[in-house]
Amino acid sequence: MSKYSIFLKIIFVISLFILLFISSISYKHANSLDASAELLSHSYKVQIQLEQIQQLVTDAETGQRGYIITHDSAFLTPYFNGRSQVAKSFATLKNLTANQPYLQDDVEELEKLIDLRFSRLSNSLLVFSGPQMAELLARNMLSGNKLMNDIHSKINQIKDLEKANFNNHQIKYKQEILFTPFITLVLLLFTLFVFILSFIRINKDLTKLRKSNDKLLISAEAIKQAEIIGEFCISIWNLKTNKLTYSDNLYRLLGCEPQSFEATIDNFLKFVHIDDRQIITTGVQDLLQKHETYSRFYRIIRNDGQERFFKSTGKFVENIGYSTHISVIKDVTQVHIDNLILEKKNRELELSNKELASFNQIASHDLQEPLRKIQTFISLIAEREMSTMSDSCQNYFYRIETSVDRMRKLIDDLLLFSRTSKIDKIFEESDLNQLLKNTLLELSEEIDQQNVHIECALLPALRVIPFQIEQLFKNLISNSLKYKKQHSEQIIKIECEKVITKTTPILNIASDSTYYKITVTDNGLGFEQQYAEQIFTIFKRLHSSDQYPGTGIGLSICKKIVENHSGFIFAEGKSGIGAIFTIFLPAD
Amino acid sequence: MQNESTYVLLADDDEDDRLFFKEAFEAIRIKTIVKTVKDGVELLNHLAVNRNKLPHILFLDLNMPFKSGMECLMEIRKTDYLKHIAIAIYSTSASEQDIEDAFINGANVYIKKPHDFDTLRKLLEKVVTINGHYQSSGLNRDGFLLSL
Repeated sequence: MSKYSIFLKIIFVISLFILLFISSISYKHANSLDASAELLSHSYKVQIQLEQIQQLVTDAETGQRGYIITHDSAFLTPYFNGRSQVAKSFATLKNLTANQPYLQDDVEELEKLIDLRFSRLSNSLLVFSGPQMAELLARNMLSGNKLMNDIHSKINQIKDLEKANFNNHQIKYKQEILFTPFITLVLLLFTLFVFILSFIRINKDLTKLRKSNDKLLISAEAIKQAEIIGEFCISIWNLKTNKLTYSDNLYRLLGCEPQSFEATIDNFLKFVHIDDRQIITTGVQDLLQKHETYSRFYRIIRNDGQERFFKSTGKFVENIGYSTHISVIKDVTQVHIDNLILEKKNRELELSNKELASFNQIASHDLQEPLRKIQTFISLIAEREMSTMSDSCQNYFYRIETSVDRMRKLIDDLLLFSRTSKIDKIFEESDLNQLLKNTLLELSEEIDQQNVHIECALLPALRVIPFQIEQLFKNLISNSLKYKKQHSEQIIKIECEKVITKTTPILNIASDSTYYKITVTDNGLGFEQQYAEQIFTIFKRLHSSDQYPGTGIGLSICKKIVENHSGFIFAEGKSGIGAIFTIFLPAD
Repeated sequence: MQNESTYVLLADDDEDDRLFFKEAFEAIRIKTIVKTVKDGVELLNHLAVNRNKLPHILFLDLNMPFKSGMECLMEIRKTDYLKHIAIAIYSTSASEQDIEDAFINGANVYIKKPHDFDTLRKLLEKVVTINGHYQSSGLNRDGFLLSL
C-alpha cells in the first residue's frame, strides 16, 4: 500500500514538473513573440525617422534650390522648419537606438553629416547674397551634393544595420518557435504516457483493492455468521483511545438489538449476574496489570430474564499498530448443562463401579468362604469316612466334589476377569520372551504330561502389564492344550512379526502405525470359522463341560487383556485342522 | 513334656475355621496347645491378662468384627511386651494388597486358608516346624506367602 502511494506521489510530482515546464515554455514563447513584434515596430520607427530625416534634408535642399532660382523666400520654409524638425527626429532616433550601441556612432555621424549639410545650406544662402556668387554657389553645391550622397549612404547603412539586427532577431525567433512546439509535443506525449501508465496502474490497484475489499466483506460476513452459529462474540478494546467495540452478536447474546447501547464495561456489567460482577471487575484490573491470556466463567441475565453461562477468553494484540485487547465471549450454557449431565452420569458410573467393586469383594471373599468350607469338609469326610461309605454314596460324594470344584474355578476365573478390567494398570518395559518362558514354566507339568511340542519365535520387548501378558499366554496355550487331538502330537507355534497397519486390512486402521503381530497356531481340534467371534464372549463355550471342562471365561480374559494394551485379537479356525489366534500389540 | 509343647493361639470369628484349625493340630505329630479367641478385642484382652503365658505363634484372621486382624497386628507390633510374638496371618484373602500390608506391618508369614483339610494340616505343620526360624532371622519377603 505504501509502495503504491509512493508511486502515485512520484507520478504527481513528475506531472506537476512537466506542466510547469510546459507553461514556462509557453510563457517564454509568448514573451519572445511579443519581443519580436516590438522589435519589428522599433525597426519601422527607426526607418520612419531615418526616412523623415532624409526627406527633411532633401526638402530643405530642394527649397533652397527653389529660392536660389526664384528668389522667392517661400521656398525657404522647409529649410527653416527642417532644422528644428531634424533635431526632433534625432532626439526620437536617439531615444529609439539608446539600447543599440552599435547604431549610436552611425547616428552621431549622421547627425554631424546633417549638421554639416545644413551649415552648407546656410553657407549657400550667405554666398547667394554676397559676391562671386555663382562660383561659390557651384562649389557649395558640389560639396553639398557630395555630402548629400554621404548622408544617403549613412542612412542606408543605419537602415541595413537595423534590418540586419531585425533579421537576426527574426532568425532566432524562428528557431525558437521551430523547437518549442516539438518539445511541447514530446512533453505532452510523455505526460500522456505517464498518465496512461498511472491510470493502468491505478486501475489495477483498484481491482486489487476491490478484490481485497470483497474478501474483507466476505470474511466479515463469515465472522458475523460464525458468531451467530457458534454463539460467541468479539469485544475489541483499544487501549490507546480506551474505546471498546462490541460485535453485533454480543448484543444478540444479551437479548438486545445490535449496537443498542454504548459499548462500555459498565453497560456490560448490568447484564452480569450480581454475584459474578466481581469476576469481571477484578478480571479487568488483573488484565491491565499482568497482560496475560485468561479464561473466565460467569452468569449473564439476558434482557428477557433468562440466565445464561458465559465464558470469556482474551489476548493482547500488539501487531496491529497499537495495543489492543481482543476478547472472545462465548455462550457456554449448553456446554455447561451438558457438563452437569456428564458429571451426574460420571457420579452414577463411579457409584456403579463401586458397586461392582463391592460385588468383586463379595465374590472374592464372601462367596469363596462357604465354598472353601464345603471343600474342606468334603476333604475331611473323604479322608476319614470314605472307607465306611457305600459305593453309590461314594459316587454321589465324588459328584459333589467335582461340582464344588467347578464352582470354585468359575469364581476364580470371574475374579480374574474382573481384575483384568480394573483401572490401575501398571505398564512396564518387559521382555515378552521372558514372560512366555514364565508361562511355559508354570504350565510345564501339563505340557510334560502330554505329547506336546511348542515352538517359540523371538518376541520383542514392549511396555506391557507383565502379569496380564503372562495370563494371556497362559490362557492361549492352556486353551490349545485342552483342545488337542487324542493320540497325536500337538504342535503349538508361537510366531511374531512387525506389521504396518496400512498393509494389514484386518485391523481396519487408516492411520500409519506399527504393530507386533503374534500368532499362536496349533494343529488341534480347531473350530468352525463361524464361531470365531463368539468364542471371545464370556461364558460362551463350543463344547459341553463333560467333554472339555472349562468356564468359558479364559478367552474373554484374553480379549480383555489385549484391549487393555490397545491391541486386537482374532481367532481363525478349521474344524479338525487347528486354530490360529492372532494378537496385535502396538509397537510403540 | 508340657514344656516342650508349642502354644498356638488363633483369633478367628468363624466357628468352622476354628474347628478346622483345632482338628488340623490334633492330626499333627508335634505336641501343641491350641487356644482360640473369637475376635480382635478378645485377643488383645486375652494377651493382656496372660502376659506371662504368651503364645509361641499367633494366627490372625484378617476379616474379624470389632477389631480386624491388621489392626491387631499393628497394635501388637507397637506393644513392647508383645512385639516379639511370631505372627502368622491366616486369611481367605490372598490379595496382593493384603499380603503387602501384612508384610509391612511386621507379620512373619502369610497363609491363605486352603480348600482341603490335608493341605491345611501340612501348612500348619510347616509353620510350627519352622517357627524357630522366624525368631532368628529377619523378615523375608520371598517366602512370606507360605506354600507347600
